[in-house]
Amino acid sequence: MIEEIIIFGGIASGVYALLALGFTLIYGISGIVNLAHGSFYMLGAYLFSFITALSLLEPETMSNSILALVLAVILVAIIGSAIFRLAIHPIIGDEVAVMVVTVSLAIIFQQLILIIFGVSFLPVMWPKGSILTTSFRIFGVTVDYSRVLAFVASMILFIALSIFIKWTKIGKAMRAVSQDREAAMLMGINTERLYMLTMAISAMLAATAGILITTSTTRHAGVYMWLHPLALSFAIVILGGLGSIKGSLIGAFIIGYAEQTVAITVPEGGAIIGVVPLTVMVLVLLLRPKGLFGKRIEMEE
Amino acid sequence: MAISYLRRAYSSFAAHVFDIPPRLMAVLFFLILLLLPTCGLSSYYMWILIYANIIAIFALSWDLLVGRTGLISLGHALFFGIGGYSTALLFRHYGLPLWITIPVAVLLGALAGMIIGFPCLRVKGPYLALVTMAFPLIVSNIIKWSPLNPVFKGEIGIRASPFFPFLPIRQQRIAEYYLTLLLLFISAVIIYKIANSKTGIVFISILDDEVAAKACGINVTKYKIMSFIISSMFASLAGSIQAHFLKNANPSMFSLTLSFVPIIVTFLGGIGSIYGAIVGTYIYYILDKYVLIYLLPVLLRNFNLALPRGFEHAKLIIFTSIVLIFIIRWPRGIARYVTDKLQDLEEARDLDERGPRIWKRYKKKEKS
Repeated sequence: MIEEIIIFGGIASGVYALLALGFTLIYGISGIVNLAHGSFYMLGAYLFSFITALSLLEPETMSNSILALVLAVILVAIIGSAIFRLAIHPIIGDEVAVMVVTVSLAIIFQQLILIIFGVSFLPVMWPKGSILTTSFRIFGVTVDYSRVLAFVASMILFIALSIFIKWTKIGKAMRAVSQDREAAMLMGINTERLYMLTMAISAMLAATAGILITTSTTRHAGVYMWLHPLALSFAIVILGGLGSIKGSLIGAFIIGYAEQTVAITVPEGGAIIGVVPLTVMVLVLLLRPKGLFGKRIEMEE
Repeated sequence: MAISYLRRAYSSFAAHVFDIPPRLMAVLFFLILLLLPTCGLSSYYMWILIYANIIAIFALSWDLLVGRTGLISLGHALFFGIGGYSTALLFRHYGLPLWITIPVAVLLGALAGMIIGFPCLRVKGPYLALVTMAFPLIVSNIIKWSPLNPVFKGEIGIRASPFFPFLPIRQQRIAEYYLTLLLLFISAVIIYKIANSKTGIVFISILDDEVAAKACGINVTKYKIMSFIISSMFASLAGSIQAHFLKNANPSMFSLTLSFVPIIVTFLGGIGSIYGAIVGTYIYYILDKYVLIYLLPVLLRNFNLALPRGFEHAKLIIFTSIVLIFIIRWPRGIARYVTDKLQDLEEARDLDERGPRIWKRYKKKEKS
């Protein structure tokens, strides 16, 4: 039981970190609390499933799946930047209005999916017969290769993105804008385009996390699947402090382990799993409003 | 000739309409609502109107909290659901009559408002919105949790007593309509009185500038909690009426969609105004249940067209897009647009200076 918690908690936490990274990135850089983040996750899974279903005409291979993944992620990135341009950009700076707008967008996406795909579940899985559908045993626990892939891929992406933000010119521009928007503009940074890029990256991360999580755990996509990742990402991000990358990694591990512990130890725990991140978030906000590593925060004391 | 006559008639009509004082307009509006059941509406339309009355109370409570005090809540369905569930539980386990269950539900709602309000005051802005959004999700998850099924009955929900079980169905609808209308009227008057009292002015000062309000010696925490409690009381009143009206309390009372209804409605009618929430609710329900379900298919049938499948789900998209357009392009709302015409320049400017930032950025330019 303890081995299960340690292994599955760790794997889940890794992907959650990727999910939360997108959320914290767009907040830290532009101050947008993007409540449509869960929708990007959902869109990623749905588009992946849809594109693999299209390419089923040809023999189902790993390369097809990877192509579908890349296409889905790029499409979600385009959707994300379009949303930013059309809906968020006119009201940027008013955090509350941005939240209402992004919740509206999330509801619109949910209804669109409901119209196009209906309430039935869509299969989201790697091609049959590939190594990713098999599993191995370690310390008496059966672990799927797909989960290992999810963990490894998200850790690689997480580290790559941290390096990108730390060392590249665009990353430096992002940090500059998050520190002082006007000064950054005076230095010749096109903030609008930078925000759009950040939104695209954030949407890409959410979509990737969506595909990785659904292919390794539930293996199907449903209409209301956007709520749990949204709750997860804001819980993690608030736990670690909005706008902090290190914080989101540590927050992800805390939430991931808390969730797995509840899922495995509490009776019928799987049904109540959605409560865990929210409860942790509420407790953290009430006991320590700044989060663990919060930087860009205005709080009443 | 005819056109010029019509134009002149319209302009004189418009001039007269915009001369009517707002209070008279409100009275006229309620008179129309009073007379509606006498028009021989079928019980489906009565059902829509009753439902609109209930949601109007809910929207009013949201508007007091968000539009007047500026405490953004994206999970107001929490209080609605608490009202509904407490009435249903009281009925099921103790068999209490509804003139006891409704007041008790309101009191429990006030208690919930206090319990939620105290900790929520430590956080602000987007954090407050996230916390308020989290609470109904937590509660609905717990209610659906299978070990608690003996108490909450899971997805099916708990049965509640109807209002007038002794009347035939048609009279029942009319009686329910007048009861909900009376409750809506009382709630609107109470909220109007609160909003225009000294307390209401304090609420607006908190909305405008909390630091300045604090500097003036106002106990901001006390007033914020007061706003939370009043708002949650009315929201749980609406919830308990709905539980009795639909004879059921189920987890959808905590859903995000329901939390979103007051947002749609108040943005439609104009946020931060009492009439806006009510007018917006009626516009919303008439559009939702009459125009889109009944009128549009009839119109389309004339052209040998039919509504596409899945239109039921598309309605929410339409309304949410309306909210988006209103927030992005026209954040002052319909009712406010009319009252700007009704009231003279001074009062219009006064209204401009109230209200949350959401529409303040769009202050109307002064007419010269």
